[in-house]
Amino acid sequence: MTALEARPAQRPSAADTQPSRRRLRLPGGLGALPISVWMLLFFILPFGLVVWYSFGYKPGIYVTHANDILSMDRYGEAASPAFFAIFVRTLKIAVTGTVLCLAIAFPMAYWMAVKLAPKWRGVVLALVLIPYWTNFLVRTIGWQISLTPQGFVSKTLQWANLTDGPLHVLYTSAAVQLGVVYNYLPLMILPLYVALERLDPKLLEASRDLGGTAWNTLWHITVPLSAPGVTAGLLLVFVPLMGDYITPTVLGGASGSMVGQMVAAQFQSAQNWALGAAMAVLLMLAIFGTSAVVGGVLKVTGRVTTAMTSLKLPSKEPS
Amino acid sequence: MTVAAASARHRRRFRPADTFLTLWGLLGLAFLFFPIVVIVVFSFNSGRTLQSFDGVGMEAYVAALNNPAITNSITVSLITATGTAVVATLLGTSAGIALTRRPGWWAPGLLILLGLVMVTPEIVSAISLLPWFVTLGVDNGLVAFNIGQVRLIIANSLFASAVVTFIVRARMTGMNESLEEAAADLYAPPLRRFTDITLPLIRPAVISGALLAFTLSLDNTVVSSFVSVAGSTPWPVYIFASLKASLRPEIAAMSTLMLVLTLIVLGIAALILRRDPSGSGGGAAGLTSAMVGR
Repeated sequence: MTALEARPAQRPSAADTQPSRRRLRLPGGLGALPISVWMLLFFILPFGLVVWYSFGYKPGIYVTHANDILSMDRYGEAASPAFFAIFVRTLKIAVTGTVLCLAIAFPMAYWMAVKLAPKWRGVVLALVLIPYWTNFLVRTIGWQISLTPQGFVSKTLQWANLTDGPLHVLYTSAAVQLGVVYNYLPLMILPLYVALERLDPKLLEASRDLGGTAWNTLWHITVPLSAPGVTAGLLLVFVPLMGDYITPTVLGGASGSMVGQMVAAQFQSAQNWALGAAMAVLLMLAIFGTSAVVGGVLKVTGRVTTAMTSLKLPSKEPS
Repeated sequence: MTVAAASARHRRRFRPADTFLTLWGLLGLAFLFFPIVVIVVFSFNSGRTLQSFDGVGMEAYVAALNNPAITNSITVSLITATGTAVVATLLGTSAGIALTRRPGWWAPGLLILLGLVMVTPEIVSAISLLPWFVTLGVDNGLVAFNIGQVRLIIANSLFASAVVTFIVRARMTGMNESLEEAAADLYAPPLRRFTDITLPLIRPAVISGALLAFTLSLDNTVVSSFVSVAGSTPWPVYIFASLKASLRPEIAAMSTLMLVLTLIVLGIAALILRRDPSGSGGGAAGLTSAMVGR
C-alpha cells in the first residue's frame, strides 16, 4: 500500500529535476478545444434546433414553424401511410443496395488484395478511387444520359434485339436501385480491400497445407478475418444511402422517391419546417436502429462462427 | 520428369476461379468508369441538348467558358474550397495532435462526435444548418452568417475537419515522441518544438489532409445547395439547379474540367503520401485507410 502511494509522489519530484519535462505538459487537450467548439456550434446545436422544431407546428402559409404549443403530432403526421410507404421503399432500396454492393465488392476486393500482382494493386486502387472522387451528381447524370429511352444504351439493346422497344428504366425505382449500387460501390470496395490486404498469406498457405479446400479456406479463414472490413463497408454504404437525396432526384421521378427528398421538400417547397424536422429525426432513428440491429446480429454470428470453428479444430487431431 | 517440374506445371494449370475473379474485377472497373466516360464523351457533343449526341466539337467548352454563370460558380467553388481547406487544416491538425499527445477524458467523446459528423447523412446536416444560419443571421442579427461564402465554408468544413483530424491522428500515432522530448530537454520552447520538430514530421499528413479537404469541398452538393444564397452558387449546385430545365452540353464540359482539376489535386496528395518514407502503409493504401477513417 505504501509502495503504491509512494510511486505517484515520486513522479513530480523527478520532473522537478528536469524542468523542461514539465513544460512539455501543456494544459491537457487545449488543441482539441477549437474543433470541439466548432462542432458544438455548427453540428450539435443545429441538430438540437431541428429536434426542438420537430415538436412544433406550422401556424400559417407564410410562416415556416412555431413552437408555442409543443406536441408529438408531427411525428404522427410523418408516420402516416403515405409517408410511411416512402420510408419503407427507402429502407428496401437501402438494404437491397447494401447487400448488392457487398456481393459485387467482395470478389472485386479479394481479386485486388490477394490475386492481383502487388505492382498492379496501386494502379487498380487508384482506378477505384477516381470514380469515388468524381462528383456524385455528375456520375449520376452520366447514368441519366445513358438510361434515357432515346439514349445510346437503349438503341444498342434494341439493335441487338435484347429489348422489344425503347428502354423504360429511367424515373423508376429500378433506376434508383442501379444508381445507388453504382454510387456507393467504392465505399464498400475500399474497407474490404484494406481488410483483405492485411490478411497474412501464410494463413491461407497453412490452411491449404492442412488439407483445407479452397472453399474451406475462404469460409473459415478469409471471411472471418475480413469481418471488420465487412462491418465498416456495410455501415459506410447503408448510412449515407438511407439519406440519399441526389440519386432519387436525378434518376427516380415520382415512383422512385426516397425519404431524403421528402425531408428536403418540407424545407424547400412546402416550407413546413416542423414536419421536415420530425421526418429528419425519424430518419436518423431508422438509420441508427437498423445499424444497431445489424451490428448486433453480426456480433452474435461472429461469436457463433468462432465457437463452431474452435470446436471443430481438436476433432481433427485423432486422425 | 522431375518432381519440381511436375509441381510447377501443376501450379500453372488453368484455374477457373482465378479467371472468374479477374473477369469480375475488370467488369467492376468498367462499371465504375461507365458514367464518367459517358460524361467526358458527351462533353464533346456539339448538339443543343446533352442527351442527344449530334456531332463532335469543342463548342460546349467555348460556351461554358463564356457563360458568366458557369465561370462565376467555379470561382465561388474555388474560394469556398480554399477557405474550407484552411479552416479544416487548422482545426483538424491541432485536434489530431491533441488526441495523440494529450488525450484526456474528452478524447473518446470527441472521437465519437467526429465519427457522428462523418456518418450523418448529408441531407440531415443540410436541413439542420439552414434554420441555424437563419436563426443566427436573420433573427439574431449576426450578419456574417448571411454571407453565402461564409455559410459555405462553415458548412463544408465540418466533414472536412473530421477527415483531417483522423489523417493527422493516424500519422501522429505512428510517430515516436522521443524527438519532441529531446528538443524539450535541449530547452526548445514549445512553439519552436512545434515548428521545428512536430510540424515537419507530420507535414505529409497535413498537406494531404488539406488537399483532401479542398476536393471534398469542391464536390459538395447537398449541404451547399441548402446553405448557399443567391449570388454565391458553387458549380455542383449550379448543375443541380439546372437539372429542372433541360441539361446542356456545357454542364458536361464544366464537369470534365472540374474532374481534371480534382484528379490533379488528388494526384499531388497521393504523391506526397507516397514520397513519405515513414508513412503508415504509405501511398494509395495509406490514403485509403485515412479516408475510410481507420
